[in-house]
Amino acid sequence: MKVKVDAAKCQGNARCWTWAPNLFELNDEGYLDPGDVNVPEGEEENARRAVKSCPERALTLEE
Amino acid sequence: MRAAVQPVPDHVPQELVSSFNLFTGPGMEPAPMGDPHAAIETLLAGPPVFFAPGNTRNGEGTWVVVRAEDQRRVLQDGETFSSNRNIFASALGESWPMIPLEIDPPEHSKWRSLLNPLLSPRRVIGLEPIVRERAISLIEAMKSRGTDADVMKDFCLPFAVSIFLQFLGIGSERLEEFVGWATDLLHGTPAQRTEAARTVVSFLDELRDLRRQEPTDDFMSFVTQARIEGESLSDMEVRGMSVLLFIAGLDTVAAALGFDFYYLAQHADQQELLRTDPKRIQLAAEEMLRAFPSVTPVRRATRDVELQGITIRKGDLVACPSMTANRDPAEFPDAGKIVLNREDNRHVAFAYGPHRCLGSHLARREIVIGLEEFLARIPTFRIKPGTAPITHGGFVFGVDNLQLDWSEQEKAQ
Ligand code: HEM
Ligand code: SF4
Repeated sequence: MKVKVDAAKCQGNARCWTWAPNLFELNDEGYLDPGDVNVPEGEEENARRAVKSCPERALTLEE
Repeated sequence: MRAAVQPVPDHVPQELVSSFNLFTGPGMEPAPMGDPHAAIETLLAGPPVFFAPGNTRNGEGTWVVVRAEDQRRVLQDGETFSSNRNIFASALGESWPMIPLEIDPPEHSKWRSLLNPLLSPRRVIGLEPIVRERAISLIEAMKSRGTDADVMKDFCLPFAVSIFLQFLGIGSERLEEFVGWATDLLHGTPAQRTEAARTVVSFLDELRDLRRQEPTDDFMSFVTQARIEGESLSDMEVRGMSVLLFIAGLDTVAAALGFDFYYLAQHADQQELLRTDPKRIQLAAEEMLRAFPSVTPVRRATRDVELQGITIRKGDLVACPSMTANRDPAEFPDAGKIVLNREDNRHVAFAYGPHRCLGSHLARREIVIGLEEFLARIPTFRIKPGTAPITHGGFVFGVDNLQLDWSEQEKAQ
């Protein structure tokens, strides 16, 4: 499972990071850097929640 | 209070002109025991875009964009929908933008790059002990005075103001004075507002000049020392930033906490659930931000643009109430219901797009910590019998005179 990041849409709400701090790394300004995020086993549920809570629709899930 | 309603522009079709506006529409005027969020939610049953005459302080009408998806389009497109309005300055007969709120992309992003690190999620973790300490000391002071209180006056507003003072680096000695200015600025008569605005501006200007000469390690020193593309910031730029930080985090945080207490006072079972299991507070606070948001971002169209088949003309104002987006059934199952353990919650209390609230991470911690400490220290509370809180609509929804009473519980213990 992978999370695709549309970094241009990210506005630094950090909702993804709140749900899955181990998956998402915020840069110093609080935004996600470009680059897809691989979801290790056991983190699928957190990844799903993170994707669903991004108000900018910057994240999509690839099963 | 407000300027006369301006005539509806000719290009607005008659059938799209509504009697609603944020100030005098149904449920928007100050009302005892009101529910302005439920009142504005009814817009979701009407046209997705309509025209509201008199929907600003100066009497100008605006389009109102009701649904979340359309609001996202407006707020994510800062080039078509400009926020350069100089509202604060124009009230003083001056002209300077509040930064970054009234700066458009692409210039906007350099200001956010400068300011974001100051209020990033990580930085906010460092501010937590002080936020908690301020919450505890205000709640304990309130508790020592009796078993009822106006929590807006005794907790919500001074709490928000004292965190701002902390952020500014001036400690709490001047708290009362600042709370007075904030109250006049946000709720005073037009004359009081102008007077308070001048006082705040000159206070911040003085602090700026002081820190330019002798920097310490606070916010004002940071911005006076900062460089953008090699240039230090002008006096007006520092003013535009510090004024915005002052006004952006006061009423909004106070209103969020106020509506939360108002709701919990009327739902003793939910209140008990959060009190006995404080781990629930974080999700509950998000749901209450969804259900009771306060802000309506407003933009001006920089070109003719179509929205839901309606032509918005260059120069028209467009209002995007977070209150309707947050109860849009296309976004949230059971949108009209308050479900304190709701998980998938893409609410827009902090807006969308480039201007998304810079202080959201701090605001969230203030709200959660405020609720945690209040529920831990104050037993079951209700609205004080014989009193009625006053709710109001407008550009920042709010609740005033929220008298809570916890005497029954004290006796029982
Ligand atoms: C619950 C409390 C709060 C709510 C509901 C809230 C809401 C908002 C909203 C909706 C916007 C976007 C306005 C627009 O696009 O026209 C905004 C912007 C902003 N907020 Fe907040 N806010 C809150 C607390 C705070 C706090 C505590 C601070 C400061 C520490 C703050 C600082 C700002 C700033 C500086 C902006 C402008 C950002 C920009 O233009 O890039 N806010 N806020
Ligand atoms: S939730 Fe969305 S907007 Fe927010 S930081 Fe994550 S990706 Fe960016």
